[in-house]
Amino acid sequence: MSIQWVEQVLQLTVQMGTVYLLASLGEIYAERSGVLNLGLEGMMIMGAATSFIFSIAYGHLPAIFIAAVVGALMGFILSILAVDMKLNQVIVGLALTLLGIGLSGFFTFPEIRKNILLKLNPSLPEEMLLTQQAEKLPEIPIPLFSNIPILGKMLFSHNVLVYFSLIFSILMWFILFKTRIGLTIRSVGENPSMADSLGVNVYMVRRATTIISGAFASLAGAYFFIGFHPFWREGVTAGRGFIALALVILATWSPLRAILGAYLFGGVETFQYRLQLFGLGAQSPYFLAMLPYIMTIITLIIISTESIKKKIGAPASLGIPYSREE
Amino acid sequence: MDGNKNNSILNRRISRRSFLGVTKAAAVGGIVAAGVIGGFSGYLAGTSAAPPTTITHEVTRTITTPAIKKLKVGYIYVGPVGDYGWSYGHDRGRRWADEKFGVNQVESTYIESVPEAEVAGAITSLVEKGCSLIITTSFGFMDGTAEAAGKYPDRYFVHISGYRSGAAGNAPENMSAAFAEFYQLYYLNGLAAGAVTETGVVGYVGAYPIPEVVRHINAFVLGANYAYKKRTGKNIKAHVSWIFEWVAPEKARSAAIALVEEKNCDVLAFTEDTPAVLQVAEEYQKKGRKVWSFSHYSDMREYGPTAHLTGQIANWGPIYLDFYRMVATNSWQTVDIWARIGDYIPYRWRLPPEKSTAGKPEGTVYLAPLNPVIPSEWQLEIKKRYEEMKELIFEPFSVEGNLGEPIRDQSGEVRIKSGERADHDILWNMDWHVEYIEEPLPR
Repeated sequence: MSIQWVEQVLQLTVQMGTVYLLASLGEIYAERSGVLNLGLEGMMIMGAATSFIFSIAYGHLPAIFIAAVVGALMGFILSILAVDMKLNQVIVGLALTLLGIGLSGFFTFPEIRKNILLKLNPSLPEEMLLTQQAEKLPEIPIPLFSNIPILGKMLFSHNVLVYFSLIFSILMWFILFKTRIGLTIRSVGENPSMADSLGVNVYMVRRATTIISGAFASLAGAYFFIGFHPFWREGVTAGRGFIALALVILATWSPLRAILGAYLFGGVETFQYRLQLFGLGAQSPYFLAMLPYIMTIITLIIISTESIKKKIGAPASLGIPYSREE
Repeated sequence: MDGNKNNSILNRRISRRSFLGVTKAAAVGGIVAAGVIGGFSGYLAGTSAAPPTTITHEVTRTITTPAIKKLKVGYIYVGPVGDYGWSYGHDRGRRWADEKFGVNQVESTYIESVPEAEVAGAITSLVEKGCSLIITTSFGFMDGTAEAAGKYPDRYFVHISGYRSGAAGNAPENMSAAFAEFYQLYYLNGLAAGAVTETGVVGYVGAYPIPEVVRHINAFVLGANYAYKKRTGKNIKAHVSWIFEWVAPEKARSAAIALVEEKNCDVLAFTEDTPAVLQVAEEYQKKGRKVWSFSHYSDMREYGPTAHLTGQIANWGPIYLDFYRMVATNSWQTVDIWARIGDYIPYRWRLPPEKSTAGKPEGTVYLAPLNPVIPSEWQLEIKKRYEEMKELIFEPFSVEGNLGEPIRDQSGEVRIKSGERADHDILWNMDWHVEYIEEPLPR
């Protein structure tokens, strides 16, 4: 087990884990303010579809930006339904997931995609209109830092979205726990009527966090497509949004712990195939394939137990729409 | 035609959404979805209307052709046709067959993304639409298709990738079975792999450990061993990583990287419906490490222009066309077809290797173009075997395919002795790995 081996496994772990990290960051904000965004998967896949189409038409950076906007728009739709209209967050979220899966498949259907691409950029050559792959985001190793043993490969030899996810998890942790804005968000999630009576605009805060969660989920999808494996197929994200949802619980609603959790899930996915080659997984591959889901179930059991929920600090009014008592 | 297709897409998307009407919350979602989809599809459908020349064309046809009743064919796919994989391949076959048969003489429709349990309902709706030939293209549709064949004796049914047919005696006479079989081509891929490998280690990303995939892995490894042993005198080493999915590019990617990094494989074959493994090989090539891979089902060269060695390609069209003709001319005969090299090609005799058609589209299964990095003597060997297999003179699962040695499994037991060649049952039920594979077969 050489150092190169360790470096490489860690690098791949981070590459995989970033999908979960990006998606969970936004979700943490939404849930901290009391809104459960179960539309994560749908927003993620819309981000993947958007980055697919727009990176072919305009290149990487516009694609990432537009993906974030599309995700924010879906977050906005969720905020209207869940925050303003006070509808059941579970149902609305799942509806948005299905909407995202269907819409992404619709826009990327070959003939329709071809027409969209031609409208966006009429000078595209024929093969670009038909291809199901896009240019992968280039890796930009950070000078000096990328030469540090182990950490250099693990954290400083990646594409721009990985760096973005790391910087934002620290930044978002700081805002959430060390600033007034963060305190406001958390108070809205714990006790909205109290926050309201203190002059906090509960609806505004929840709208904002929901939109943020949409944007981050969509960025996760964009990363998964152009940053991890740029080949489109219908349903490309394959339920990873739900793994990110479980991760938020595992990280107990903290952006910093989300980093660890995300890389844990990423590591499991990376290791699955390596263990097989050492004769470990091949006899029981289903067990390894089940691992992420077993973890999901375990974490769900933990939070449904009221005492544990209190102990680990789930937002008290998570999933409960706020109505001002007149 | 184009307009119809777009409409059917629209209907499908909205009907998927129909469950949204359940609650007030969901109703709003449905309205938003319908609005967005409706608006966009109208916009997009408008741009893809058929060119006006079609009308003139059709008029000429009706005058010149004697009044033949249009053949109605219905297809049932398990996945979405927008996909790159399995169902996309069948839809390409459908379009090919329609065109060869004459688009004015056949009207084909399809239902996509049909869950395997719902095949009966899908067949009924095609029967009600008046389809006289119904083709179901997933293994799980087999029993439903056989039942329907009993229920509708005046219609004809073709099931792909199963084993029930009137010919085999386990289904009504109006049902046939067909399949495009790749193991011969995998053997040729193996020859290419053994000819170029520098590490002497080849890898395989497998979908599920079922006989079909096991057969393909074994054929690939036998071929690789044949070429490598002839070159170096040493046995090939082969590793298999299973992903337990048919379509999962991101998993195939991780498995491919694991094979390259952990075991130093430099040629990767695969059974997964996307070019993911080829894309990984291409990434390694760009970084200066020589890793090679193949096409699977479609010509995937664009996804790995450097890393692409050759590969196996299927065109289901000729199979379908054959059934169109049977039904249209009232000359149905129930069959059980395994289309292999040489089937459905105009000239089935072997050609000298220099004139070989290997690497050119022909028949139902054929070889993808050969990369010039394969040494020319091995290109000739591949072509020679390809030509021999047209006449079924050469069989990979025989001692000739293994340098005169009997074929042994991982426990050392002889599976195919000198003078034997694999028959239908050995191929169909293959549940053992050849000795050169290091990992045990998951059970």
